[in-house]
Amino acid sequence: MATNTDAGNSKYVTLVSSDNYEFVVLREATLISPAIKSMLLSPMREGQTGRCVFPEIHGLVMEKIVEYFHYWYKNRDKTVVPDMEIPVDLCLELLVAADFLGLDSKLLS
Amino acid sequence: MASRARMKPIRRPAAKNRETSDFEPCWHLLRSAMIDIHTKNAGGLSFEALYRASYKIVLRKKGELLYTEVKSFEEAWFRDHVMPPIAELITNNLINISLIQAPGTSLHERRQMGEKFLRGVRDAWVEHNLNMNMIADVMMYLDRAYTAETKQPSIFAATIGLFRDHILRNTLSASSQEQLTHEFIVFDILNAVVLDLINMERDGDIIDRNLLKKITSMLEDLYETDEEIDDQKLYLRVFEPRYLQASKAFYRRECERLVRDSDAGTWLRHCRRRLIEESDRCGTTISLLTSEKISKVIETELVMAKLGEFLAMEGSGLKGMIDNDRIEDLSILYELIARVDPSMAPLKATLQSRIMELGLEIEKNLKNTDFSVPANGGGADGDDGADAVDKAKAQPLTVAAQQTAAAIKWVDDVLTLKDKFDNLWSNCFQEDLVLQSSITKSFSDFINVFNRSSEYVSLFIDDNLKRGTKSKTEAEVDAVLDKAIILLRYLTDRDMFERYYQKHLARRLLHNKSDIDTEKDMVSRMRSEMGNAFTSKFEGMFKDMELSKDLSENYRDHIRQLGDVDTKKVDLGIHVLTTNNWPPEVMGRSANQEEGSKVQCTYPPAVKRLQDSFYKFYLKDRSGRVLTWVGSAGTADIKCVFPKVPGKETGPLSKERRYELNVSTYGMIILLLFNDLAEGESLSFEEIQATTNIPPQDLQRNLASLSIAPKARVLLKEPFSKSVKPTDKFSFNTQFASKSMKIKAPTITAISKVEGDDERRETERKNDQTRSHVIDAAIVRIMKARKQLGHTALTTEVITQLANRFKPEISLIKKRIEDLLNREYLERVEGETAVYRYLA
Repeated sequence: MATNTDAGNSKYVTLVSSDNYEFVVLREATLISPAIKSMLLSPMREGQTGRCVFPEIHGLVMEKIVEYFHYWYKNRDKTVVPDMEIPVDLCLELLVAADFLGLDSKLLS
Repeated sequence: MASRARMKPIRRPAAKNRETSDFEPCWHLLRSAMIDIHTKNAGGLSFEALYRASYKIVLRKKGELLYTEVKSFEEAWFRDHVMPPIAELITNNLINISLIQAPGTSLHERRQMGEKFLRGVRDAWVEHNLNMNMIADVMMYLDRAYTAETKQPSIFAATIGLFRDHILRNTLSASSQEQLTHEFIVFDILNAVVLDLINMERDGDIIDRNLLKKITSMLEDLYETDEEIDDQKLYLRVFEPRYLQASKAFYRRECERLVRDSDAGTWLRHCRRRLIEESDRCGTTISLLTSEKISKVIETELVMAKLGEFLAMEGSGLKGMIDNDRIEDLSILYELIARVDPSMAPLKATLQSRIMELGLEIEKNLKNTDFSVPANGGGADGDDGADAVDKAKAQPLTVAAQQTAAAIKWVDDVLTLKDKFDNLWSNCFQEDLVLQSSITKSFSDFINVFNRSSEYVSLFIDDNLKRGTKSKTEAEVDAVLDKAIILLRYLTDRDMFERYYQKHLARRLLHNKSDIDTEKDMVSRMRSEMGNAFTSKFEGMFKDMELSKDLSENYRDHIRQLGDVDTKKVDLGIHVLTTNNWPPEVMGRSANQEEGSKVQCTYPPAVKRLQDSFYKFYLKDRSGRVLTWVGSAGTADIKCVFPKVPGKETGPLSKERRYELNVSTYGMIILLLFNDLAEGESLSFEEIQATTNIPPQDLQRNLASLSIAPKARVLLKEPFSKSVKPTDKFSFNTQFASKSMKIKAPTITAISKVEGDDERRETERKNDQTRSHVIDAAIVRIMKARKQLGHTALTTEVITQLANRFKPEISLIKKRIEDLLNREYLERVEGETAVYRYLA
């Protein structure tokens, strides 16, 4: 993809929530989501800028997702891992977002 | 859904809801994006928006609709934008060249046209593949939630397959401007062009490998159906079989050309080059999947097809390679055959027969040399190159010495041959175990076919040990001994060898011809190779020698203590030999073999006294032993005085001369007779024999050494001639003169020589006798353990037991069994044929 700029290759990517919160995340950590991975690898806007806007994911949910990315990244080589704290009131929203980002398939397999 | 709405604390923007609530707007968004993708305008699109659009559609259960819409959109696009440029490339010309192979086009033209066509296909494919990937990525949620659940091919598989269905399996003739004379599907043309290009490269042209690689990897990415079953790649199903078939034809032709026009060396290098080329090609031009299969094709078509013909080629074939040590050729040949046939059958057979031939040639050469030697004049200077070299300096070659030299030449030749094949084996055959054993077997075969091998090997060792300390360094001797051991391994009749070695060793030890440490070294090597039983006699001989040395010294001390009783001081060095360990010839039993009638010669009184004195001394510690004096094996140093010859005033004869003569024991006895003789008197042969009782042959020999050889002619023979006859008369040679003080009378026994035919038959007869006893012992041993055994089983077991010593003949075993039956060691079991029982 010739259009890839520095931003497209940077170690970090920016995830933007519906209420315009920006999360700067380690690129590698986000790649667990096939949807984000395809986004970042595509020649489209996200691939060029390293910035993914999610107009349907709220900041609160996004925060938890980003936390999960880091949690996964930190523990990816370990066999014994601590549980992650999930607030009950966010559960459903998180499920929907996880489905959207394709995180279920990874968890199932 | 209702409960979710209630629990949801975060509200979605209302505008988004309205925008994505229906299929149409979403599809519209996606459709225009797809056009952008196809027209390379994807840069401005938002992946997230497109992804979300397809996600929405699927969530609203419209997945099926989306799936078919995408498919039909792509089909339409494909038909309108992808196929036409490809169709333009399909021309009558292309078809004629690639499929019908019409004549009249140059190679260059063909390549140009082929590559142009392939480039078109490649570009279309790369484009299509890229776009389909991108669209499939956007439609990821569709695949995940709809196609996977309904078990349909993924959106990617369904769209990428268009290339197969609408281009490869299409004639494309409808859209072509000109009317095609023949109709072929594009796939056939594609295959033909690719194969044609590859054949061009095989013939030395440069082609665009990357282009071909792209095309073949396209075929690897496409499957027979949209299900994309692993082993149904178009590459494997369609291209590869054709490729292999074409290669087969190509290499068959090439092999036929080579066998007609070239030699085996060229062929070998060609095979190797082709194998490397083809395996490279699998990496650079086509798929690695084919690597093994194409190697097989070359192996069968190029290597094996005419293998026999190439190996049999005059000059350059296997025979030539071996004879001329063509290391490289043989290495390649080995590698090639190893690929195809791990048992090495074709190589093995030729190798073995070649070794056999070369081995028999050595024997033939030897025979020729043997015949030519006496013609050269027995005893005269042997200027017959190889034979003469070894012995020439010492003395004019006698027939016997020349035969000895022949034996050494044989061993040398065999060792050279062995070195040659060892060299080939380690340098060319990667130390292959199968080949090693077949080489070993062939050597063993031809060595054992030659019936004098045992004797010759022993003679070879004898010669090297005798001269070892003088002309060779220790390391050299070591190497030679190692080789001798190798030869020993090949011998099957080891008992024969043992007999000869014993004889030769005895001579070396008694005459002090060799270095005792080297001798022991040699024997210990034999022990580790052949086992204790084989060397026990040799070790016994060493022990006798050592004991004898001590004994002689003790005796000398003993005499000194007694004081000078004996005025005529005679110094005694004695070898006490244990009968069993030493060969019968040395033990004085050879003259009359039957019933050991040991001829005791009459010793002169001075010697007799000495003998008695020693015997007494000997029996002090060891009572009940019997000593037999073996006159034929000993030597004596005699001081003799030749008085001044009257009438001679000048020259050596004018003075009194004192010499120290080294003669055999018999020689001493003879010479002592002349002490008592008045000047001018003589003794006849018969008289000497009557007085001394020395066996006639020995007497003849000793007299010859004292009266014929000019160097030590202390006796005069009447009449003077070259040989001693019973009627001759002998007298003291008063005229004798010599430049040196110490004179050694030439001893006949000291030279180890090849046996004459009579001696040889004798040795064999004795050996057979020994074998009979050994077989008897083996049979009894076996039967004692088994009590009852069938004939065949018994025979096999005897052969296994004796394999280490020799290969017994079946008839001999049978005879021994019969003999044992007669002697009632065994009996036949009643009622059963050929079963024996042991009688305790």
